[in-house]
Amino acid sequence: MSVSSQTWIVVADDPAVSGLVVAARTISAEVTAVVAGRRATAESVAAAGVDRVLWLGEPAEGTPVEAYAPDVARTVADAAPGAVLGSSEGAGRVMLGAIAALLQAPVLSGVTALERDGDRIGVMRSVFGGIAERRDLVTGGPAVIALAGGEISDPTGLAVPVEEVTANALTTGRLTGLRPKEKAPVDLRAARIVVAVGRGLKAKDDLALITDLADAIGGELACSRPLAEGVHWIAKDRNIGISGQQIAPELYVAIGISGQLQHMVGVRDADVIVAVNSDKDALIFKQCDYGIVGDLYTVVPALTAALAAKP
Amino acid sequence: MTIVVAYKWAPNPQDAAVRSDGTVDFTRAKSTISEYDPVAFELARRVADSTGAQVVGVTVGDASIDTSLARKAALSRGLDRLVIVADDRLAGADSTRIAAVLATVVRWIGDVDLVLAGESSVDVTEGQVAMTLAGQLGWLGLNAVSSVSASDGGYAIERDVPSGTVSMVVTGPAVLAASADAVLPRVPGMKDILGAAKKPVEVLSLDTLDVPSAQVTLTTVSTSRPAAGNRHRVIIDGSDPTAAAAELVGALRAAKVL
Repeated sequence: MSVSSQTWIVVADDPAVSGLVVAARTISAEVTAVVAGRRATAESVAAAGVDRVLWLGEPAEGTPVEAYAPDVARTVADAAPGAVLGSSEGAGRVMLGAIAALLQAPVLSGVTALERDGDRIGVMRSVFGGIAERRDLVTGGPAVIALAGGEISDPTGLAVPVEEVTANALTTGRLTGLRPKEKAPVDLRAARIVVAVGRGLKAKDDLALITDLADAIGGELACSRPLAEGVHWIAKDRNIGISGQQIAPELYVAIGISGQLQHMVGVRDADVIVAVNSDKDALIFKQCDYGIVGDLYTVVPALTAALAAKP
Repeated sequence: MTIVVAYKWAPNPQDAAVRSDGTVDFTRAKSTISEYDPVAFELARRVADSTGAQVVGVTVGDASIDTSLARKAALSRGLDRLVIVADDRLAGADSTRIAAVLATVVRWIGDVDLVLAGESSVDVTEGQVAMTLAGQLGWLGLNAVSSVSASDGGYAIERDVPSGTVSMVVTGPAVLAASADAVLPRVPGMKDILGAAKKPVEVLSLDTLDVPSAQVTLTTVSTSRPAAGNRHRVIIDGSDPTAAAAELVGALRAAKVL
């Protein structure tokens, strides 16, 4: 299938597209967005630095954005761009799935670098949960790529027109309600310092030790997956790792975390990593800048006290 | 009425060996039911118990996925029957290929109203196959599903999204990817394990399935190990916690991190 030099981004009602736009611009001079969802999303994307916006129209009452996946796929396939980028989170995966199926193309995830190699797209990916990296060239059709969506862009001041196109949404699903979360999700990516705790913590009540340290050091609380989804001691949005948040703070303090790759991949780009673990052979000691081999129940209070003391 | 559970028999990359050239050797790693798939088995069994539907497990992959251990592991998790496609031509297949084969199997089974799958696989961790399967079937695809129950004319679904919990009703066939903490799966008991031996297994040949071929392909240019990351690896003995804390805080202040 011959493709154009354009890059398309697909938006599933989430206006946080800065990551997609920046990536698209590294490989194309022409970036088109196809937006499923509300007009307000389309208008936000129209001011996010793209050249063209196609909008599938205001969803009828109760229609979920996922119902537009076949329309998004058809619109993309008709244009045959060189690359299609979508969000790796939530409904982005649904859009990418419909595109991948229609084009019979793989969805590339874990992408760390994107480049143009003549008329082909080259992709560097982290594979198998981060244990290895591969560079591939895409041939035979569009490169279909899943990326972190990014932020809602400040309007560039140059909003392109929103072009409405007809859509035939699937009718097999209907929204019936939304129960908002009591607390707004925390954005750990904005934190300069993060203190994370793992399975070394024996009881939920012991979290006070860790939050005291976080307060003393001026950091946000985070955790490894078992504490969020296993025992539910900490909210899911504080889970760091391949299935949670990937962050790059100035300082990451890992308490009672063994250093499994599925977790460490979440902090690979942290400036400084500190670990506290009672097991001298823990994997994390090979992946940290400073590590204390000791019992977190004595070391963490000592750290809190040392931080409170005047330098 | 049939509910399909699409699952994976796969190894944990933590147990794989990465060669210096970046290629990955899984030969010493043991495969198991992929980490989050038991959630899908549990959701399927609970829904089927309330509607009288049949639960059919489906898995596709290379020849090594069809062992008696693998069959028993799946059948002891609330399946009524199991369908397998095990062919070395599927070794290393990408998510779109896997979804294409799964779709042909779902059509072959017939009368399927729901496909349930886990959040993502333990080895590839992309969370893509289920939603591409929805695309291959032309069905509604929904992920982050935290609850499924039978409801008038269809299924009541809840999805766990950053802003809260979305509730939906699904009235046509759909593929649902369950969130990893949707439900705590039951651990198979002796009765489940013994019962597994009596349940039917069908092995389908890839050649008899009309699977669409890949249009877009990848040419691997290079593989590598991730950059080691130049971490200092300064290790401090914590047996005297006060001294260790003083040393660490001092070092972080000197490095202008604190």
